[in-house]
Amino acid sequence: MARFVLERLLGMVLTLFLVSIMVYFIMELPPGDYADRFAFRKYSGTGVTVTEAMIEEIRRDLGLDRPAYLRYFDWISGIVLRGDFGMAYSFLTPVTNVLGDKVWLTLGLLFATLLITYAVSIPIGIYAAVRRGSAADYGLTVFSYLGLALPNFLLALIMLYCANRWFGASVGGLFSPQFENAPWSLAKVWDLVKHLWLPAFVLAWSAVAYQLQTVRATMSDELNKLSVVAARARGVPETRLLVKYPARLAINPVVSTIGFDVNRIFSELPIVAAVLGLTELGDLLLKAYLDLDMNVAGAILLMLTTIIVVMNFVSDLLLGWLDPRIRMGA
Amino acid sequence: MDRLLSVENLSISFRTDEGPITPVQGVSFGVDRGRTLGIVGESGSGKSVSTKALMRLLPGSASLSPETRMRYRAKNGETVAIETLKPRDRALRRLRGGEIGMIFQEPMASFSPVYSIGNQMIETIRLHRGLGGRAARDLAVEMLAKVGISSPETRVDQYPHEMSGGMRQRAMIALALSAGPALLIADEPTTALDVTIQAQVLDLMRDLQRDLGMAMIFITHDLGVIAQIADEVAVMYLGTIVERGPTREVIRRPLHPYTRGLLEAIPAIDRLDARLKPVPGDIPSPSQRPSGCPFRTRCPEAVPGLCDRAAPRETAVGEGRAVRCHLHDAARAAA
Amino acid sequence: MAVLDDLRAPAETRAERRERERRERYYAASQWTLIWWRFRRHRAAMAGLAVLGLMAFLGLFAEFFAPYGQTTRNAQYLNGAPQWPMFCDANGCSARPFIHGTRTERDPVTLRSRAVPDPDMRLYVRFFVEGEPARLLGFLPISTRFFGVDGGGRIHLWGTDDLGRDVFSRTLFATRTSLSIGVMGVVISFVLALIIGGVAGYFGGIVDSVIQRVTEVIRVIPVIPLYMGLAAAMPRDWTTTQVYFAMTLILGLVGWPTLARRIRSQLLSIRNEDYVVAARLAGARPSRIIATHMLPSFTSFIIVDLVISFPYMILSETALSFVGLGLRPPAVSWGVMLQQAQSVRVIEQTPWLFIPAAFVVLAVLAFTLVGDGLRDAADPYSEAR
Ligand SMILES: Nc1ncnc2c1ncn2[C@@H]1O[C@H](COP(=O)(O)OP(=O)(O)OP(=O)(O)O)[C@@H](O)[C@H]1O
Ligand SMILES: [Mg+2]
Repeated sequence: MARFVLERLLGMVLTLFLVSIMVYFIMELPPGDYADRFAFRKYSGTGVTVTEAMIEEIRRDLGLDRPAYLRYFDWISGIVLRGDFGMAYSFLTPVTNVLGDKVWLTLGLLFATLLITYAVSIPIGIYAAVRRGSAADYGLTVFSYLGLALPNFLLALIMLYCANRWFGASVGGLFSPQFENAPWSLAKVWDLVKHLWLPAFVLAWSAVAYQLQTVRATMSDELNKLSVVAARARGVPETRLLVKYPARLAINPVVSTIGFDVNRIFSELPIVAAVLGLTELGDLLLKAYLDLDMNVAGAILLMLTTIIVVMNFVSDLLLGWLDPRIRMGA
Repeated sequence: MDRLLSVENLSISFRTDEGPITPVQGVSFGVDRGRTLGIVGESGSGKSVSTKALMRLLPGSASLSPETRMRYRAKNGETVAIETLKPRDRALRRLRGGEIGMIFQEPMASFSPVYSIGNQMIETIRLHRGLGGRAARDLAVEMLAKVGISSPETRVDQYPHEMSGGMRQRAMIALALSAGPALLIADEPTTALDVTIQAQVLDLMRDLQRDLGMAMIFITHDLGVIAQIADEVAVMYLGTIVERGPTREVIRRPLHPYTRGLLEAIPAIDRLDARLKPVPGDIPSPSQRPSGCPFRTRCPEAVPGLCDRAAPRETAVGEGRAVRCHLHDAARAAA
Repeated sequence: MAVLDDLRAPAETRAERRERERRERYYAASQWTLIWWRFRRHRAAMAGLAVLGLMAFLGLFAEFFAPYGQTTRNAQYLNGAPQWPMFCDANGCSARPFIHGTRTERDPVTLRSRAVPDPDMRLYVRFFVEGEPARLLGFLPISTRFFGVDGGGRIHLWGTDDLGRDVFSRTLFATRTSLSIGVMGVVISFVLALIIGGVAGYFGGIVDSVIQRVTEVIRVIPVIPLYMGLAAAMPRDWTTTQVYFAMTLILGLVGWPTLARRIRSQLLSIRNEDYVVAARLAGARPSRIIATHMLPSFTSFIIVDLVISFPYMILSETALSFVGLGLRPPAVSWGVMLQQAQSVRVIEQTPWLFIPAAFVVLAVLAFTLVGDGLRDAADPYSEAR
């Protein structure tokens, strides 16, 4: 088991290293560099004409004239050693200030979404497989097709519309106005929970639709396995049989795709955030891209991806714990 | 004679996409306490589905004909009408495992890969023997030792994938026997194993059966194996029993052309130079059952105008022996 | 003797003969024919195929089916409601469908002028009317439109947007753009996947490990943020055409890993099959072995994967354009059109601006159904539904 964990851990570090290169590449992609944008920002509206020389000076001051691999090294070592993601030019403050507690908000949203996804898709998927061919099964299949086809921003708009209709205008966003800038307190946390369900529901929607199909398909497969027939032939009572034999194995593919679900959720996050007016990383990422504030964008992209990679690792561990064949490397 | 199980007129149909098929038609057989019945036949002849019907293990698409009668004399002396049991009946649960144990062809797939061998054995022991905790585990270890697994105390905590094929099949036998069934159904328990292991497992089963005084239904497509282990034999072809009787007699004096074909297909040491004669042709699928005698399409002695007109009836030939063949009936009529 | 046998054998009935012939045809049919036969039995998949066919047809000939051009404005009818052709109104019935004309009046509250239907003015719907000149398929000059109204009026089946552009016409043009971007994206990602997955799967070993790592990295970064990062880098001054091709390239660049993995694993699994080894021993070039010996054995799976990857392309394009990082006006795609429908206010006031969303849902649904149907048809042993 120790070896198993160590192997996965090493793999994770290597992946993160490659990811950081990829993210840096994306940060460098837009035409112009930080110095251009910084100068533009600093002098715009001041009446000063920005000259090429001034930009060149900023560039030299910030060390932007050095080769790309050195700048990458600066960037990544700043992050790893000092937790420093550089400056956010559009806010003229370090990126970490801009991010603030948004990382925690995003994580909260993520776990709320995952919770909804699994609490809904696993039991219902199992039910659909056991009742295969029934009206309920048919309805669920139709739902999951629709669920996968509905663009999330559309769902977000529909939900927002319904929520506005039935619950008044306070839905949307992550906080009520009076808590927006208040320090953390129990009341604020409760306010957050009250706001979280709507975005979590929207984000969980397609993940549910997807996992529902996975669980149903694996469960159907497992139900026909000889091991299930053999257990039945030993007189194991039916309900217990379903839980212990096929259902236990039917959640394996779900566990192994946790990282994939997180990826899917983060993928939808910026757009859903834009529609629902959420103030967390997804929203900030979109704004950063539109402003070409690449230090912020890169930091967020790196964070989101790191969370995915870590969740992949967690999923590997869980799977190893659930399945002795994987744990023992068979 | 002490009848443990008797099956009459067992017919099984499946609903399929291509319409209904009936792979088993009017099968009757019985097993006495402590004896072994061998069922032999080619792949697809309906051996597995027949025995699954005994445990009510057929999928939802299967149905039994109304004439089917399956009677089992339980340990407590009651007679169970298996075909009338409801899926949630306690009696059915007792029957499965507690009264009748079952071993399948693929030992790997019969175990759940995510639980240890011991876990699955203890579950069964708890269900049927009312033993808990330590006692159940001790019994599991004892059963493993009994089937010849070395160092059973450690093996009991191992997972199926940690065992070799032969060992897994032994564990499967231990699992089936751990609930103390009076009848063991072994569905081709040795086909997935290599020859030497096959012989060992066969020996083991014969010994266990004698020691425990169990009855057994042994399914195989190898008449040679039947000769070693079974007291009685039933030869199945395309869902019907074409010949049955005491093993020695059937092998010595086969009456049905199909049985003769099967016997000629067994390799024998003293005839190594002679060419083997497999039964010619392929077994038709149940959806294309020939009219008349099902075997006529492959029978070397089929008589046109007779065999394709009507299905032969079963004719009793002496004590406990029967055959289903027009030729035999005709010969008897002529005599 | 044979004659005698023939006589004795029970005569084959007609039903039996038909059955036998069906069987013989079945055994003689090629793999593709078989797949098509099985596919045809999937009603949902056939419906999906029909929907896609119709969309593609309408999109391809949008210059003919759309009554107006994609940027043509009707300043007299801003944010106008859909005008459904009718047969009857307060003034009686007519055999030819008609719509009511509009007149402009001032809103008493906002004092802004707005168009209201005039129930006394009838504009009759006519087919094959003379309209704006355009080039069909990009080169064929036409000025005939499929339908329109007479009397110099305008018909807006699905209403207009805030600039007075016809939603119906724009949706047809958008259908063409969105579907074609999907096709191009899939083609590009397929070519990349074929090369990369082919190399990895054929050579195996260290080449494979390295490629696997890189693939893994691209797969682990959340897709839409990755797309956005690439899209954000597009210079603002690019032309519509440049952006269009850049978009297909981005979609293709991000889409290949899944497909490449599939191709790789299939190749790895048949790498040591006898016929491949034989070809290798005979000295055939790797590219030739892959192309002629290995790929054909799983073409059907690749096609299924291609079809299944369409929805992702379409949804991604829509999402990117929706937030302003994809295609930019004046180009028109479903996502670009939906940019105008970003708030709840739109649902309340001009819900017809959501019509392109229905197209997105329909197209994604259709592609999914076709993909599932194809998968079942290509692999009868997969989960039987
Ligand atoms: N679930 C099912 N649905 C439809 N047909 C079935 C089903 N199970 C079995 N059959 C049919 O029943 C026939 C007999 O199958 P069975 O498994 O009993 O054969 P068998 O004699 O055990 O052969 P083998 O030696 O290969 O195990 C087969 O032809 C098969 O087509
Ligand atoms: Mg069988």
